[in-house]
Parts: sequence; structure tokens; C-alpha cells
Amino acid sequence: MIGTLMRISWLNLKRDRIALALTFIMPIVFFTIFAWIFGNMGTGGGGEERSVIVVDEDQTKISGRFVQAIDEQKSLKVVTTPRATEENPDPAPYTRETATAAVRAGDYSVALIIPEGFGDEFGTFVGDSQPVQLIYDASNPYARFSTAGLLQAAAMTTAPDILMQQGLGYLEQYGGGLTDEQQNAVDTITPYLRGERDWEELADEETADDQSATEREVNGEDASDAGDAGFAGLVRVEAIDVRGEEYDMVAYYAAGISVMFLLFSMAGAGSSILEEEETGTLERLLSSNVSMTSLLTSNWLFFVALGFAQVAVMFIWAALVFDLDLLPVKRLVGAVVMTLVTCAAAAAFGIIFATACRSRAQLGGLSTIVILIMSALGGSMVPKFVAPDVFNLTSLFTFNGWALDGYLKVFWFDDPAAGLAGTLRGLAPQLTVLIGMTIVFLFVARLLARRWETA
Amino acid sequence: MPSVLTVNNAQKRFGRTRALAGANLALENGERLALLGPNGAGKTTLVRTIAGRVKLHQGDIALLGEALNGSPAAQRVRRRLGIVPQEIALYPLLTARENLEAFGAMHGLGGSALKERAKWALQWTGLADRAREPIRGFSGGMKRRLNIACGILHEPEVILLDEPTVGVDPQSRQRIWEMVDELCRRGASVLLTTHQLDEAQQVCDRIVIIDHGKDIAAGTFHELLRDTIGTQRRVTIELESAPPQALLQRGYQAGDDNTVLCTIDDVAEELPARLNEIKAAGGAVRDVHVQAPSLQAVFIHLTGRELRE
Repeated sequence: MIGTLMRISWLNLKRDRIALALTFIMPIVFFTIFAWIFGNMGTGGGGEERSVIVVDEDQTKISGRFVQAIDEQKSLKVVTTPRATEENPDPAPYTRETATAAVRAGDYSVALIIPEGFGDEFGTFVGDSQPVQLIYDASNPYARFSTAGLLQAAAMTTAPDILMQQGLGYLEQYGGGLTDEQQNAVDTITPYLRGERDWEELADEETADDQSATEREVNGEDASDAGDAGFAGLVRVEAIDVRGEEYDMVAYYAAGISVMFLLFSMAGAGSSILEEEETGTLERLLSSNVSMTSLLTSNWLFFVALGFAQVAVMFIWAALVFDLDLLPVKRLVGAVVMTLVTCAAAAAFGIIFATACRSRAQLGGLSTIVILIMSALGGSMVPKFVAPDVFNLTSLFTFNGWALDGYLKVFWFDDPAAGLAGTLRGLAPQLTVLIGMTIVFLFVARLLARRWETA
Repeated sequence: MPSVLTVNNAQKRFGRTRALAGANLALENGERLALLGPNGAGKTTLVRTIAGRVKLHQGDIALLGEALNGSPAAQRVRRRLGIVPQEIALYPLLTARENLEAFGAMHGLGGSALKERAKWALQWTGLADRAREPIRGFSGGMKRRLNIACGILHEPEVILLDEPTVGVDPQSRQRIWEMVDELCRRGASVLLTTHQLDEAQQVCDRIVIIDHGKDIAAGTFHELLRDTIGTQRRVTIELESAPPQALLQRGYQAGDDNTVLCTIDDVAEELPARLNEIKAAGGAVRDVHVQAPSLQAVFIHLTGRELRE
């Protein structure tokens, strides 16, 4: 008897493809996505590069070597000049001001300003030496901390000869001079530290002389490991929030969670159309004076209104309980516009699912899969700045990605000096894409809905 | 009587399935016409076709003298059609009044006219005292009455009722037929499908039997009887003992358990004569059962199947 019942359960599962996919494929898909995100986090970003603006105000040999060392870090890519555009085919290198503006606009997550005098004080361990300024956006704390750590590693590989000279100076000052043998060893290694000779030559000589491999430890070690080993703090870093005020992540999560649940709500609302079909109400409506176009339009408009109310409640809650700042007015207007357009696209998303699926069960399963994947790839679950840079590409194909980008522009990257028109202009790409999605979704939904029309 | 609805040579295929194969029917003004047929015969397709939900491959339909061909005039005349689906196609979380007002609005009613019609419908269905309750708590019979009301709120001249009494108890069924009677008294013409042959026989003026997508018989019950199994009653006479041989020689058939069978046309005239004949032949009558010809017998005769097959 138990065997028969188990067989029935298995046959039911086997013939319900959606349930089968949810059972076996979805866990793998999600594991893959999250392993991709968090697996890379554990290795400091893995093979993913983060572009950072570097402004070298010092313009010395040491600062140049420091910039080069930063660029040689596996996880960092130095950008010193804006991308050429048709309007500006030969852009000037970044300055402190333009770099700050680029971070504020969200073009880059971090900018490094190497101040004048950096080279003079490099390796002196002077407590009040000129700090490297790390200009960051609080929307991406991960970039701030990871970049700051990597700077120390870069410093170690910048000018080991100078570090050694500085160290020896301190030794002579406080511990007495070197012996002749020690001085000879220092003289031998200095050209290698300066990069004037190849380390492999020294290794060959050492092998020939059967010497200890003390120097090889310096040569062969991964720079970042060396930085972590004991030279953290070699370069003083002053982190500066680009906005000059404290921001928390409430805006990001309010937007992220809102967008994800908006999609779930819209898919759920879309199932009401299928429910009407199953109960015969749809047939009845279509037998009356109601046309399919007006039926879809009325549903879509209601879903938009419902979604808008849902997101509005979320933001108001965030403002009341978590001090999310909805003002100034241009921010509020931007948020309202983004919410309207986002809800329009999400409602169309719900409609397209309703028209594409044959049953509520099918819609529930399929929409869950699609929404969870889009939310994961689009940044609703895991902020994009935590994820590998490739997420910036994948999110372009998700509803969530565009919606979140828009909300981030409103709440984070909007230039306070820009007027309302400037704010809305800044949202143009996101608004355009979301409106485009709405139109395409509704058009496809109308085509799919023909199955409910005259047979 | 002029026809308010005619279907001529209706043909429709769904893939390789031939749903309608040249069906015809005519609904006369003020008439109640029953559409009967076994499952899969094409009844629902025909009703959906009239409702404009299915397009014919061939054939034509005229409603109130206007061809239903998708023209603006056809769209206008279709508004004079009321459709009551077999399903309880209502919004369960809405109250009875809200459902009525919603479907009334879908049919073009508004303002005070809508309110008046909703009020009338609540009285008509006997649901006035439950008007403010969500209908999900209603009994099956109450929902079905409301289901009908939502389809006729706009006072259509022609009404399609698809299985109006399916799944309801005898009392509710009786109530529904009383409601249909009232609609007809008000001048509506009704085409209905039903699986209740006795109801079709009792409440409908005429009957169309459809099978394999085609009408195979149409007429009043008596016309159908006359054209098929005849109008004779079947008489079963139970005797106290085995039937005398003389009766069998006079055309009586021997039945089970000391019974004899015969057929008569007129009960009042022929039955007493038959009983005297049996007595004269030496038979002692214990019981008599007269069976009138039924629509079920006609149906089986025509289709070779029970209605529910």
C-alpha cells in the first residue's frame, strides 16, 4: 500500500514539470548564482577586476611606482582618464574634482587621490604623513574596504629599496651601524629592489653560492600576502565619503525588496486572470460588452495602482522607521516617477505571465523561478557591488537591475546641485528601458491573449 | 411564430475533431427550446458559437433577424442576448448585489437603471435578504440563481441557459424553473441545454436533439414520440398465477413473474377493455402498471446511447 502511494506521488511529480524543475533544477541554479557571488568574495574578488580612479597629484617617481603597483594588483584596475566620447574624444586626466564627481555619479565606486608630498614621506612611518585619500560611495562599502586593504599590498611592492633604506636608517639611528658583511649584502640587493636588475639573476647566483633563500621570500611572495603579513598601515589612507554625510543601506534594501516583492505581487495579481478563466468568469466577461483589450488594460491599470501603493507603503515605512530621507522634493519626485514606471513594467510582467501560462499552478511555479533568478542577478537579493563585476552585465537583462539602478540614482547618485530636470534626465536610461519593457510586455501579452478570444 | 434565433448548417472543427457537422436549430419568439445531446455531441460548442465565442468554419447564425457575422450591427444585436454559463461564473468575494452591479455594468447598464435592475434581480432570485453577503457562503442553489440573474440583468430578448439546474437540489431546481417561467412571461425566448430529460420534457416547448455535431431530431415531445418510438403506452399486468394460454394467443407477451405485457393508445378506453379480456380468459389481476413513452426512450432510440454516456 505504501509502495503504491509512493508511486502515485512520484508519477504526479514526474508529470508536473514545473514542480520537478523547482525540486531539482532551482536549487542548483541558486547554488550556482550564490556560489558565484560569495565564492569570489572569499578570495578577495577572485579574478574580477574593480576599476578605480587614481589621481596622482604628487607626480614623483615613487608615486608613479605606487600607481603601477596598484594597477598590478589582480583585483584592481587603474583608470586615470575618462573614456573618450564623441563629444570629448580626447578627455583630460581625472583631477580630484572630476574623480569625486565620477564617484558621486556612480561611474566608479572608488577614487584614490595621491597627494603632493607622498613620495617624500613614503616609507618614513611618520605618523602625520600625507594620507592617500580614498573617495568612496557609502552605497558600496565593500569597495572601500577591499581597496584600502589592497593599497597596503601595493605599497609593499612599490619601492622595497626605499623601505629598506628607511629601515636601515632607523636601525643605524637607534641600534648602531651595519657590519661590513651586512652592508655588502644590502648593496648587492638594492639594485634588485629598485628594479634595476632581474630577480632571477640573483636567484641563480644564490643557487650557485648555495646561500639561504632569504631574498627569495621577498621576490616570490604574492604581494597581497606580503601586505597582509605585517605591513598593514604602511600607507596612511583617509577614507572620504563622497557625500560628506552618513548614509546607510536602507534606501538600497527598500528599493531591492520592493522591486522583488512587486514582481511577486504582480505575478500573483496576474493569476487572477487565470482564476477568472478557470471559473468561467472570463468567458462570461468576454461574452458581454467587454473586449480583450479593455480587459487587459483594466487589469494592467489596476496592477499598476496596486504596485504603486505597495512600493509607496514600503518607502513610507522606511522613512518613518529607518529614517530614509525622501526629501528634497526632486528626490521625492524622482522616486515617484521611478515607482510609477517600475510598477508599469512589473504590472505588464504580471500580465504577460498570466497570458502565457495555462494554469495558476503553472504561473506560480514559473514566475517564482523567473523572479528569484532575476532578483538574484539583478541585485534585489545581493547588492551588485558585492557581486562580481559581470553582474553589471547580467543585470542589464533583468527587470530588477534597471529598476534598482534607477532607485540608486534617485537616492544615491543624484547630484544635489542638479535641478529636478537634471534628476529626471539622469533617470532617462532606466525610464526608457522600463517603459520599453512595458510596451513590449503588453504587446506580447495581447498577442498571447488571443487564445482567450474567439476560437 | 417568427424565429428569433436561427442556426443554419453550423460547421466547426477543432484540429481533427469535428465539433459541429452541420447543426441547425430555430428558436421561436417566446419559446423555450431544449438542446439535448450526449456529452461531446456539440451542444456547448453550439451555445458558444451563438454567444460569439467560437467562429464557424461554415454556416450562419441569425439573432433577431441580424446575421451574427462580426459586423457592428451584429455587435449591437448581440447585446440583446443573455448568456448564463454552466459554471458559477461569479466573483466569490463580492456580495450578491456587487456581483449583479458588476455584470450589469458589463452589459451596459448604469446609474439608477442598474440599481433598479439589481434590486429587481435580488427579489426575483429570492436573495434580497442576503444582498450584502459575499456569495462564497451561499448554497449551490443560491449561487446558481444569482448566476442566472447576472446573465439576464440587461433584459435580453433571447437567453442561452447552459445547464441551469446542474448540481442543485429539487427545491432549488423548481425555483429556477419558476424564474425561467417568469422570464418567458416577460417575453424572453430561451434556449437551454440540460441533462435532465424529464425537465426538458416538462418545461420546454420544443426539443432539439443533437449528436455528432448535427441535429438529428426536433419538435415537440409528442412530435418526437410520433416520429420515433410512437405514442403507445406500455402496460404491465401482474397476475395471481401463470398467465392463461389464451391471453398469449391474443397478442399479450409473457413477462417475468406471472406478468403479461401489451401496448395501448388510449388509457381510458383501452385499459378497462384489456382488464375485462384478461378476466374473461381466466386470469386474476393483482396489479397494473402503465408506462408512458419517455423522452429518454426517444433519446436512446435516436442516439443509441444514454444521455450521460
